Amino acid sequence: MKTTRREFLGSIAAGAALVAAPSIVRAQGADVIRIGALCPVTGVGGPYGSGMQKMIVAAAEAVNAAGGASGRKIEIVSEDTQTNPQAAVLAAKKLIEVNKVQAVLGTWSSGVSLAVIPLTNDAGIPLMHCSGAPALSVPPANAKGLGFRFQATNDRFGRAFAEICEKEGFKRPATMAFNNASGIGNTEGFTKAWKAKGGEVVESVVYEPNQASYRSELMKVLAANPDVIVTGSYIADTTIILREWFQTGQPVKWVIPGWAANPQLIEALGAEVTEGIISVDSVSNEGAEAFKAYDAAYQKAMSQAGTNNVYAAMTWDMMTVLALAIEAAGTADMAAVVAKLREVGNPDGKQVSTFAEGKEALKAGKINYEGASSVLDFDQHGDVTPDFGAYFIEGGKLNRRYVVQI
Amino acid sequence: MDAYLAAIAIIALIYMLLSLGLTLQYGLTGLINFGHVGFFAIGAYTSALLSLQGLPLALTIPAAAVTAGLAAWPIGLISLRLRDDYFAIVTLGFSETVRLVITSEKWLTNGVQGIPGIPRLFETISVGIGAQLAVMGVILAVTLVAIYAMRRIVASPFGRVIEAIRDNEEALQALGKDPAGFKIQVLILGSALAGIAGAFYAHYITYIVPDQFIPLVTFYVWMAIIIGGVGRVSGAIVGTGLLMLFLEGSRFLRDIVPGVSEVEMASLRIGVVGLLLVLFTIYRPQGLMGDFTKR
Repeated sequence: MKTTRREFLGSIAAGAALVAAPSIVRAQGADVIRIGALCPVTGVGGPYGSGMQKMIVAAAEAVNAAGGASGRKIEIVSEDTQTNPQAAVLAAKKLIEVNKVQAVLGTWSSGVSLAVIPLTNDAGIPLMHCSGAPALSVPPANAKGLGFRFQATNDRFGRAFAEICEKEGFKRPATMAFNNASGIGNTEGFTKAWKAKGGEVVESVVYEPNQASYRSELMKVLAANPDVIVTGSYIADTTIILREWFQTGQPVKWVIPGWAANPQLIEALGAEVTEGIISVDSVSNEGAEAFKAYDAAYQKAMSQAGTNNVYAAMTWDMMTVLALAIEAAGTADMAAVVAKLREVGNPDGKQVSTFAEGKEALKAGKINYEGASSVLDFDQHGDVTPDFGAYFIEGGKLNRRYVVQI
Repeated sequence: MDAYLAAIAIIALIYMLLSLGLTLQYGLTGLINFGHVGFFAIGAYTSALLSLQGLPLALTIPAAAVTAGLAAWPIGLISLRLRDDYFAIVTLGFSETVRLVITSEKWLTNGVQGIPGIPRLFETISVGIGAQLAVMGVILAVTLVAIYAMRRIVASPFGRVIEAIRDNEEALQALGKDPAGFKIQVLILGSALAGIAGAFYAHYITYIVPDQFIPLVTFYVWMAIIIGGVGRVSGAIVGTGLLMLFLEGSRFLRDIVPGVSEVEMASLRIGVVGLLLVLFTIYRPQGLMGDFTKR
C-alpha cells in the first residue's frame, strides 16, 4: 500500500477532529459538580497513584449514593501527572479548561504540586495535595489560601524522626537523602531537630535518583560508623540500598519514611533483610470510623488492606471533606466552599466519619469531620498535623510500637 | 477549551523552537546532539533568575539565548575532535552535568526545591485567555522568525557548506573549506534557539526544578524530527505538531473510549510512540516531510 504524504496528513487531521469532537458537544449539566483527580498513576508515584485515584472515585460514589452534595452529583474526571511537572501542568490545564473542574485533588510529589498550584490559583479553585515541601504552605505558592495539604510537611517528618531516634537512644545518626525536595526536606528537618536536641549528625549523603547501585554512597555513610541511618528515600532506591547494606554485614539501624519502608519493600527484600527497620509514617486514623469506611472501599477496589496506601486514605478524605464543605456552603461556588473547609474539618462541632452522617448532622449544626488519614484539622496555612507512628519491622510484618506527637 | 488549546499550542511552539535548533545541528550539519535539554535548562534558569532580580523579560530572554549559545562554545571545540557517536556521548554527558550542577548549586538555583513564582510574560494583562493569546503570539512570532532564518540559512552558501559537512567532511576539507568554524557556529546558533525555548518555558510554567530537564526532553525532540523528516525545516514543524497531537490527544481518547485505565493508557501511549518510530524507520526513513530529491 502506498500512502502519499497528503493522504497521510489528511487522515491525521481527520483523526484529530474525531478525537476533539466529543469534548465540544459535551456540556456540563446544572446539577453536576466536576472534580479533577490528578494522581501520579505512572512514574515514581505509580505504586500509590492508582489507589489514590480510585479512592477519589469511591468517595465520590459514596457522596452520590447519599444524594449528592447540596443537591448536586459529583462527577470525577481523572488525569495522570506521570509524576512529572510538565505533564501535570498540561493535565491540570485540561481539567480546568476543558472539563471545567471545580477542584483538583490528589497531586502527590512536591514538584508537581508546585507546578500545578499557580494554575488552580488563577482559576480560583482549591488544590488538595499530599506533598511535603514547606514552600507549598506560604506565598507565592499558597498566596490565595487555596492549597490544602493532607500530608505532614517534610519538616514535621524530620522532627518525628528526631523524636524517635531520641526515644530509641541512638547517639550517632547519619542521613541519606534522595536528591529531590522531599528527600532532602526530610533529612534536613531531621538534622535541624536533632541539633536542637544537642545531638550531632556524623555523616550526611545526598544521592542521585535512578542509579543501579548506591554502594559508594552507602560506603561513605557506613565509614562514619553511625548507629542509625535516617533516610529521605523512595521505595526503588531504598530496596537497592538495603540490599547492598545487608551484603556488607555492618550492623546499623534504619529509620525510613513510611512511603519507602512499606509491605512492598518487605516483599521485595524478605523478612531477614528488613528485620528491625523502623518505618515512620503519619498515622492513618485507624481507630476512626472513617478509616473503616475507607478500608472497605479500598479492599473492594484494590483487593488489598487500606493500610497499604496511606495516600489513598488522604484522597478519600479530600473528596469527603470537600463534599461536606459544598454541602455546608449550599453552593458550588468555590470561594464559599473553601471558606467552609475549616468549619467542617476542625473541632467545635459534632464528630462525623462519613459524608452521609455529616450531611444529616449539618442540618442540626456544626460538624467536625474526623478523617481516615488524620483527624484532619487544618491550620492557618491549610496544613494538617497528623501523628506519627513508629513501625518496627518484625518477622516481615510492620508492627506499630508507639505513636509520636510533635 | 480555548485556553487549553492555547496551552498546548504554547508547549508545541516551545518544542518547535527546540526541534528547529536540532534540525540545524543534526539535520543539516550531522552533529548528533543528545544534550539539547542542557541548553534548554541553561536558558530557562538564566531567564528565570535574571527576571527574579527585577530585569525586564525583554532583556532576560535574549540573555538566555546568549548564555546558552556561549555554553555551546566549549562543546563546539570538542566537536572538532569527536565525530558521530563519540560526540553524542559527550553531549549527553554535558546535559546531565548541567542538571547536576543546577541541582548542587543551591545558593544560585535553590537546588531540588526549584524556583517558584517566575514572572509571566505580560503579567499586567489580567489572567485569562487574553494573556494566553498574547504569550502565544510572542512565541509564534519568535518561531516564525526562526523558521524564516532557517530557510534563509538552507538557501545560503553557509547552508550548502554545513550540508556538505554532513554528507562528506573530508571532501569539503579537500575543497579548502574549514569545517571547524562552521560546526561551532551551528552549535551556538542551535543552542541559542534552545535557550530561547527554555526562557519561554520558564516564564510559561512559572516553576522550574531540575527534574524537568531530563534527557527525555531531548529524545522527544529527536522523535519529533525523525517523524517529521530529518534535515527539513518543514519536518521539524510537522514532527513537533504530530508529537504534541499524539501525546495530548491520547488524553481525549480515554475520555471517549471507556474501560481503558490510566495505567494502561500510559503504557499504550509509550508503546504507540515506539511503534511509530519503528514503522517510520522501516517504511519512511526520510520522515514525513523527507527530502526525496537526494539519495
